[in-house]
Amino acid sequence: MTRIFAGRTRLGVAIVSLCLLAAGCSTTATTKYWGQVEAPDDNVLRYITGSEPESLDPSFVTGQPEARILIGLFDRLVEYHPKTMQPIPSMATHWEVSDDGIDYTFHLRKNGKYSNGDPITAKDFEWSFKRALSPELASRYAFIGFEIKYAEQYNAKQSFAKKDGKFLNADENGEPLDSCDVDGPACLTLAADEESLAKIKKDNAELATRIEGAEFVEIKPDDIGVNATDDYTLEVTLKQPAPYFVGMLTHQFFAAVHRPTIEKHGKNWIKPENIVTSGAFKVEEWKPYDEMTIVRDPNYWDAKNVKLDAVKFYPMDEQTTMMNIYKAGRVDALYNHTVPAAWNEFIRQFKDEYLLHPEVTIEYYTFSVKKKPFDNLDVRKAFSLAVNRESLEVLRKTVKKSADFVPLGIFPEYEKARTKVFAELSEKDGITPEQMQKRLFDPTAACAHMKKAGYSVQMTGSDKCKVTDFPLDGVELSYNTAESNKQVAEFVQSQWQQNLGLTIPLKNMEFKTYLPYRSAIEYKGVARAGWVGDFMDPYTFLSQFYTEANDSSTGWWDPVYDKMLDDANKTLDPEKRYEKLAEAEYYVLKDQPVMPLSVAGTSWMKKPYVKGMYPNPGTMHPWKFVYIEKDRAKWDQNVDKIMTEQSDPAIDAEVAALMKSQLDFERANASKSEEGGEDEETDKTE
Amino acid sequence: MAEKTDIVKGTSLWKDAWRRLLKNKLATFGMCVMALMTLLVVFGPMVLSWMFGITPSAVPEDAALLKSLPPSGTNIMGTDELGRDLFARVLQGGRISLMVGVISTIVSLVVGVSYGAISGYLGGRIDNVMMRIVDIFYAIPYILIVIVLLEVFKGENTPSIITSLSEAFGGSGPLNQIFLLFFALGLVSWLTMARVVRGQVLSLKNQEFVLAAKATGVSTLGIIFKHIVPNTLGPVIVYATLTIPSVMLTEAFLSYLGMGVQAPYASWGSLAADGIKNIAIFPWQLIFPGVTMALTLFSLNFMGDGLRDALDPQTRKF
Amino acid sequence: MLQFIFKRLIVIIPMALVVVTVTWGLIRTAPGNFYSTEKKLPPAIEKNIKEKYGLDKPWYVQYGKLMGNIIRLDFGDSLKYEGQSVNEIIWRHLPYSATIGFLAYLVALLIGLTAGIIAALRQNSAFDYSSMALSMLGLSVPNFVLGPILVLIFALWLFWLPPARWGGVSSVVMPVITLAAVYAAYIARLTRAGMLEVLRSDYIRTARAKGLDEKTVLLKHALRGGIIPVVSFTGPALASLLAGTVVVERVFAIPGLGNIFIQSVLNRDEPLILGIVAFLSILVMIFNLIVDISYGYLDPRIRYE
Repeated sequence: MTRIFAGRTRLGVAIVSLCLLAAGCSTTATTKYWGQVEAPDDNVLRYITGSEPESLDPSFVTGQPEARILIGLFDRLVEYHPKTMQPIPSMATHWEVSDDGIDYTFHLRKNGKYSNGDPITAKDFEWSFKRALSPELASRYAFIGFEIKYAEQYNAKQSFAKKDGKFLNADENGEPLDSCDVDGPACLTLAADEESLAKIKKDNAELATRIEGAEFVEIKPDDIGVNATDDYTLEVTLKQPAPYFVGMLTHQFFAAVHRPTIEKHGKNWIKPENIVTSGAFKVEEWKPYDEMTIVRDPNYWDAKNVKLDAVKFYPMDEQTTMMNIYKAGRVDALYNHTVPAAWNEFIRQFKDEYLLHPEVTIEYYTFSVKKKPFDNLDVRKAFSLAVNRESLEVLRKTVKKSADFVPLGIFPEYEKARTKVFAELSEKDGITPEQMQKRLFDPTAACAHMKKAGYSVQMTGSDKCKVTDFPLDGVELSYNTAESNKQVAEFVQSQWQQNLGLTIPLKNMEFKTYLPYRSAIEYKGVARAGWVGDFMDPYTFLSQFYTEANDSSTGWWDPVYDKMLDDANKTLDPEKRYEKLAEAEYYVLKDQPVMPLSVAGTSWMKKPYVKGMYPNPGTMHPWKFVYIEKDRAKWDQNVDKIMTEQSDPAIDAEVAALMKSQLDFERANASKSEEGGEDEETDKTE
Repeated sequence: MAEKTDIVKGTSLWKDAWRRLLKNKLATFGMCVMALMTLLVVFGPMVLSWMFGITPSAVPEDAALLKSLPPSGTNIMGTDELGRDLFARVLQGGRISLMVGVISTIVSLVVGVSYGAISGYLGGRIDNVMMRIVDIFYAIPYILIVIVLLEVFKGENTPSIITSLSEAFGGSGPLNQIFLLFFALGLVSWLTMARVVRGQVLSLKNQEFVLAAKATGVSTLGIIFKHIVPNTLGPVIVYATLTIPSVMLTEAFLSYLGMGVQAPYASWGSLAADGIKNIAIFPWQLIFPGVTMALTLFSLNFMGDGLRDALDPQTRKF
Repeated sequence: MLQFIFKRLIVIIPMALVVVTVTWGLIRTAPGNFYSTEKKLPPAIEKNIKEKYGLDKPWYVQYGKLMGNIIRLDFGDSLKYEGQSVNEIIWRHLPYSATIGFLAYLVALLIGLTAGIIAALRQNSAFDYSSMALSMLGLSVPNFVLGPILVLIFALWLFWLPPARWGGVSSVVMPVITLAAVYAAYIARLTRAGMLEVLRSDYIRTARAKGLDEKTVLLKHALRGGIIPVVSFTGPALASLLAGTVVVERVFAIPGLGNIFIQSVLNRDEPLILGIVAFLSILVMIFNLIVDISYGYLDPRIRYE
């Protein structure tokens, strides 16, 4: 009805847009909304989630477009909190962690059902986890499960070594073990194919003698630290403490899949005619590159709280097209970064529609620290200090400046700890608070660093200089093609030009060409990188520099840093753990293998009648909370405050109700331990 | 006797053609615009930077100016999102776009015309094989060719002819890619030209004047390039003028995929592609590069048409 | 004639194999692979992936297997889109691009031929100049500009047409116009040039001298020779149109083959690239064969020995 008779408003909007075009659109908007805004008659949300999904297999896919669809289709032990993305109970009503932070016990609800009516049990989760980690599935995301004991070794097809009927201990001085049970000490694991064994013989004489004459027992799925003790209890054993583990379980990799379907149909199980799902919605129709429709699943355990009848996902690649289709009122919401940065000043007038909130990402440039000239710390410091991040913020409009690696505005508790730790450590290093502040931009210091690095520096202004003998050959700023990357690179290039007198050539590359180029550190000097957090914990960022095979693409590695992170994760008290993580962050930033630039904002739009959808840090929406409000009076207003004052009490109450089971359980446990022992008490006072 | 008339005719051909060309008002207009555009593009950036200190890739230091500004006294075409002067960028983009168009078209003319003419004239099995090779080239995706070319010839492997070309042009590393691109685009754009020419030659080779030339003992190559090719000039020129815009647009598309011109350089195509995104908010970012590009292509085609009419050997028969 | 067609058809198969082989070589030379992502993969996971897809075997084994499959017209499964076969993807998306491409070419032929013929007949007239200027506009406005401008006017100002997505007649209008513009311009110019060439040739003079009426001269004799350049152009143009054009498909979010093809190249999705390339090459060769056959009919001077 409303859509058919919307002619008059359309004409109005047409005239308005015409005027806007003529006026260059810098004036204030005369309408409240951008384009067509009519609540649909049906209860269906139409959403753009980016590119075409690769697959619907939750354990296999890697991208965000897929993740957003799969949140609706497959249930996990824990669900994302719609605002913070922290884990809230879903299939697990509550869970507990052993005192050493290694054993997790999840208690499952008894009314979980697959879309075909089969019950979902702990055994299903056990099977799903093991399948996800299996080398045969070859999931690119398998590393997210590597915190689980022996998972990595199982995925890598490694073996235990058995000598004289006993398993060798991972600790070389340890006693041989009777079994490699997950609860016992760790067994020695190694790749036991001929090639690897030959390599061990050549490179590692000590290990070679230890394993001589040993028989190799391949690690089987049953060996890994996932175990359903009964239908509703799942025990997970980790290789080392990982306080962020429950947060990881929100990821679709850990979703419950339906074993009989997969065993029957093989790779074809994801076809709409075969697929059996476990989430709030099930697949109705999938027309690749056109649309995917998921509809409410009456078998879902929380079906009464699912408000939408269906969600339609439209795969799309062009930003402008997405904006057009939104403006024409043919979709109800967009995904993050759909609004071009340049439009910010214009679009942000539509206060009831435009959402710009901090995102769990960091944009930074990496340095090739093992090659000249960036093997010199002073050169790295100079290049970082010579970029005015304040101006970058002005230019990009949707980002926030950052000289730190863990993004701002996402982990308030961590930030508190970081402020404290950074102040202490910098004082110790003789760095003034002002200098700390000026890490965001300090051309004078940049010039001084260049001088210290041994280059000839001529001052060209009060705070600017010209470096005359810097080897410009063989230094390039590489980035992969994207409008925003290009603009940032052009800006940074001009900053180096203005403040150091150096013109660093830019080199843009197509994505798949760029990836191996950067990760093999083939790039010359500086390369662009961005990291989106995998889970809601600072560790997801700091682990970029963890272990020698780390993913920082810089060549930087420091065992001291690894130890700092390990220590932090063994600390059970969250506040102390954050302090230790902050120390590690300080440690890595001091060496400047990367120069952080900015933290992105989510920058997307939704029609005001779409409610229960929040601009959370990863733009991951649990669809069961989303609904369409027909009553204009209740539409969302001023969405800048949607996380606080303008929040929706009904949804808040619903989330609170879901969280209750875990909170009650924790409270009961706490009172029990107060009566029982003083373990926790002593821990805290340490 | 035959030789002598050839020479007489030869001199009058170009004189004639020039006279005809000047008579054609649109063609004259096209030539003037093209001459002006070439001058602007070649000397404009220098003059601009020398007189006003405006350069195409200078980002303002003042953060308040880091945004799209509408046309004004200082920036007559406005600025782009980084606050760079659009006029300077359009001029500099013109250099790249015109080079892309001209170089690729020359490659396509030289290779395409000779290939198509030889294939069509010789006919039979040779024609068959030659055309099948064209078919094969057609079917291989040029994007893949470009990706591989850029990979194989990157860094130290860049052929010296390309590095020296890009150095002559004032840039070093980053310009290499665009010159590689000219090469790659030329490699794919001669195919259609070859087919067009072959089609023409097939219909010409049995005509009386060819038979006459054959009878007087002119060599095969002589027949092809002296007698047949001049007769195909009409469609060839038209097709060549069609190649220029299509090559420019292909360049824009490749830039969009990250394989074209390197930032901070731009081409008309890439400027227009950037501009279209902001059409509703900063229309000048599309209008100026777009209109400049359209005007150039317009003139180019009027010129091409005029040239075709002027050069047409058959018109002289009337 | 039949023998000629048969010979050419036979030759298509080895040619398609050559094309596939060259393309395969190019893919293997190109940097990057289908599984690389922003996150660097642990070596063990990379090894699992290679084993799963048979990439750990020597290249000649992989190539042999590939050729064996292709001869049976089986391109295997896409690497990017898990569990979808290449054949399935091609046949599912071809109809979209084919519909738009075919309609666009029809429109382009209609406009281009008419404009070109009239312009040639009235050389240097106002119609000639204005239609050629208009065709220049079609050529010099890139489709990534024309498409969005049409959307701005017809979808966002007037709300007459949907701004994007497939569905119903109204959704086809703008993509077809955007696509047809360039081709109409090409055809108009090629027709004009070809017709001018022919109108001055001896056989047209003879025909006129014989006293044939102008209509017969034009339609029966001149047109046949005059559109040869258009016919040459049609083969590859139609093939590329039917296979889709990336920009239009992206701007209008149409699930056509062109965008999928570009994506497959960017994703290094080898089976899908090879499948589409093989399909396209066969299409191009068949269209070119048709073009060559029609030369013989259009111009009796062309003979196939």
